[in-house]
Amino acid sequence: MIKLNDIVVKFGDFTALHNINVHVKEGEFFTFLGPSGCGKTTTLRTITGFIEPVSGTVVVKDRDITHVPIEDRNIGIVFQSYALFPTMTVYDNIAFGLKIKKMKKPEIDQKVREIARKVDLSDEQLMKAVSQLSGGQQQRVAIARALVTGPAIICMDEPLSNLDAKLRVQLRNELKQMQKEFGITTIYVTHDQEEALTLSDRIAVFNKGYIEQIGTPNEVYNFSKTEFVCNFIGDINRLSTPVVQQMIDAGAALKETDHNYIRLERMHVNMEPQPGQISVTGTVITREYYGLYIKYYIDLGCQTVKVIEKNDGVRIYEEGQQVSVVIDPRDVMAYPPGEKKEAAS
Amino acid sequence: MNRIEERKLQPETFLRIVGVAFFAYLFFGFMLFPCLNTLTSIFNTKNAAGERDPFAVIRFFLAGNMAKYVWNSLKLAILLVITVNVIGISIVLLTEYFDIKGARILRMGYMTTMIYSGVALVTGYMFLYASDGILTTLFKNSFPNMNPTWFSGFNAVLFTMTFACTSNHMLFLRNAIRGIDYNTVEAARNMGARPFKVLWKVVFPTLIPTMFSLTVMTFITGLCAMSAPTLLGYDSINPEIVRLAGSSSADEAFPQARAALLSIILAMFTIILLTVLSSYERKGHYLSVSKTKARLQKQKIDNPVWNVLAHIYAYVLFIIYMTPVVMIIIFSFQTYSAIRLKKLDLTQWTLINYYGQEDYEYLTNRGKYKTRVGSISGVFSNEATLGGIKLSFILSALAAALACVIVVVACNYIFKRRNRKSGVILEYALLFPWLLPTILICYSYRTFFNSETVWYVGNHNLYYAQNVRLLIVMAYTVTKLPFSLRMIKASFYSIDEELEDAAKNLGAGGLRTFLKVKLPIILPSVLAVFALNFNALFTEYDMSATFASSYGTSYAMVIQAMCADEGLYGYNVNASGRRCASTVFIMIVSGIILYLVYGLGARDLGERLEARDRRRKRREKLSAMFQKKPA
Repeated sequence: MIKLNDIVVKFGDFTALHNINVHVKEGEFFTFLGPSGCGKTTTLRTITGFIEPVSGTVVVKDRDITHVPIEDRNIGIVFQSYALFPTMTVYDNIAFGLKIKKMKKPEIDQKVREIARKVDLSDEQLMKAVSQLSGGQQQRVAIARALVTGPAIICMDEPLSNLDAKLRVQLRNELKQMQKEFGITTIYVTHDQEEALTLSDRIAVFNKGYIEQIGTPNEVYNFSKTEFVCNFIGDINRLSTPVVQQMIDAGAALKETDHNYIRLERMHVNMEPQPGQISVTGTVITREYYGLYIKYYIDLGCQTVKVIEKNDGVRIYEEGQQVSVVIDPRDVMAYPPGEKKEAAS
Repeated sequence: MNRIEERKLQPETFLRIVGVAFFAYLFFGFMLFPCLNTLTSIFNTKNAAGERDPFAVIRFFLAGNMAKYVWNSLKLAILLVITVNVIGISIVLLTEYFDIKGARILRMGYMTTMIYSGVALVTGYMFLYASDGILTTLFKNSFPNMNPTWFSGFNAVLFTMTFACTSNHMLFLRNAIRGIDYNTVEAARNMGARPFKVLWKVVFPTLIPTMFSLTVMTFITGLCAMSAPTLLGYDSINPEIVRLAGSSSADEAFPQARAALLSIILAMFTIILLTVLSSYERKGHYLSVSKTKARLQKQKIDNPVWNVLAHIYAYVLFIIYMTPVVMIIIFSFQTYSAIRLKKLDLTQWTLINYYGQEDYEYLTNRGKYKTRVGSISGVFSNEATLGGIKLSFILSALAAALACVIVVVACNYIFKRRNRKSGVILEYALLFPWLLPTILICYSYRTFFNSETVWYVGNHNLYYAQNVRLLIVMAYTVTKLPFSLRMIKASFYSIDEELEDAAKNLGAGGLRTFLKVKLPIILPSVLAVFALNFNALFTEYDMSATFASSYGTSYAMVIQAMCADEGLYGYNVNASGRRCASTVFIMIVSGIILYLVYGLGARDLGERLEARDRRRKRREKLSAMFQKKPA
């Protein structure tokens, strides 16, 4: 569907994107994830045509669109600020693209109302100014405006970042639902890993203009290819040498010289170790209560680790309590030190 | 710009070339060449022997009394900075910061100078305070020993301009104080600071950038003062330039070159001050870093004595601001005899100052009665006054609109090319008139275009006959460009760049994006600038006085001339009454324009739709009531 082949983007002397290669499948919800300034929005703007690459090609449905003007690319965009025209009503905002295509009034009216119904906007809301709508409703308008012209792809640039936490979660679900309904290929940009993990079919993790890993949410979370990905996605503990040594002594195929990481939920408190697992004693320093689960900070003597335990209401450990932490070496993700970034494909 | 954009703009290349040519024509033809001509005229003077003597004017300046005008202007500017800041800061604090009873009414009073300014305000003050003014007459009756000419010369100019120049404080300092994060005030109070300490240590520092800009602008206003010194009799630079410009070399030594030299001196002061201002502005401003800014709440003055004194001070200022306005309104409905006696006569009410005509019978010095037909007439019945109003209205509206259109087109270009040389050059070209005093531009126009040798205006003498109107429009427009640019550019920068991207993505070209997306967003600001420009130009005196011509006699000039000759040989018997009426008319027009622009025009689409809904509901309610009644 969309192929980015060896895309390089430069701003003056600064190289923003280094040989980016991505292949997005038809109907896929594909997310560009990474910290600020990593190149995810630049990649999106290269696809949409706002930025022209120094080298490489952008191919959509086997058509090279690298040098095709923005308006001829047939790509809908939902902007971070939604970019709704403040001097137009909701109806006029949605109809803007159709009017430019010189469609007839009845046809425009039919298409606007149809898409409005699909994104759950009432006739009354159509006649309102965008400033009269809530954040969630504005997002729907932005989606409707992007979809009404029938684009092949829709690109979304952090569309949830301006909303409060509760609304963000609510709209995240609606967004996924809508994408499934429309079946449209979606490219989504975010720096929020939780958003990326819950929404995406596949994720490309960006760092400093490179793609570190492309994979399903499970792949990037549980099988992070690089140290950056494993650190960026979710919370993690880097294990200290004595703990790693203990695992090596127990027969684990780990290297002391590597950087060894383990996810919080992969360690367990006061459980009987199974064969191959090790148990390390420690003291609970503090705990954070999250309702569904509890996060413990445990001092193992050589380091402090964070451990998450399901909140069953029974096994709750007090601060200062002596506990054992069980670690399975198979859950450890190891990276050789000083590993270099390579463009993933 | 990437290759995609380059290809898109190709059809617009022609428009761009036309635009560049227009701006080059405007800059070189109506800014640079006329002013350079003025500059060079200083060094083209000829001595008594008819030989060219480049330094004759400068020698004259150093030897003669020309320096007096410079010193007088400087004295006025320096003192004005002090008095305007004291009054300006006071009125803003009294209405926005301290809890003063009746602050809303006070604010309205302090804001009257926004609709009542320029020559109208000066003549209004004269109407009250001149030797035969209403209040002076009143005081003289109570205190026979008082000096009836107290309101003349420097004191009168300083007094009048102090109150006339606080409009900018009410606009900009008020906005700055309203932008203060109240949490910072609360934090200071929480740490034990007393209210005045908070004001001094927390509030004032955030206002310093605005106050600095206002100080520089006030200084320049004082330096370039024209209408007040002219009407109240004070020898400063601008009135002298106008006098010299109209003088002939037969009467005095090289008057034109002297006028040019004074203009250049004024320009040098302005350039120095604006350089200081811009270098200060480049240092940056205090910005609120608060993400949850709290609205400023008024501070109670705890000390009862200070509280009473503050209230007294606020209401005394209110009286000073309001008295001329109220008096002018009242006397606009009084007969010429009551006005002449400067006494309010409750039996002498009339509408003749507004509309209608009456004959006037007077006794000649030969002891005969003579009748002057239609000598008493209203603003809307007096041809000359109406002509002046019409001319001023048309010229001001044209110039205000032209300045806005030029600046909007330029801003669109500058905004697109803000990181390129061409954008920066255009911006500086439009700011160029700011470096020059208005009077220098007008004087340069008057001398440069008063010939048939300027090829780029088709070898027409623009200072001849009706052409002078075009010259006035150009002068009005050019002098309003820098202000318009500063204001409109700010609103361009507030446009979310993603809106342009969104329009592009939906297929809109550059022109369509500008007309359908950007222009509607900046329109309220453009209209506000139009209104401010129009209001300033409508009662403008300085420029039309420089262009003094029978074809370019503006409202301010007409009214001034009529009042000077009031009652002479039985003509213009009610000139003062008509002036009051026309001032009231202008206040109404200015007030309506400001309300339309700042009140209705400032509403966004949502507010307009809500207002429409409310109107519709009211209509439905009313019609429902009427439908019910017969049942």
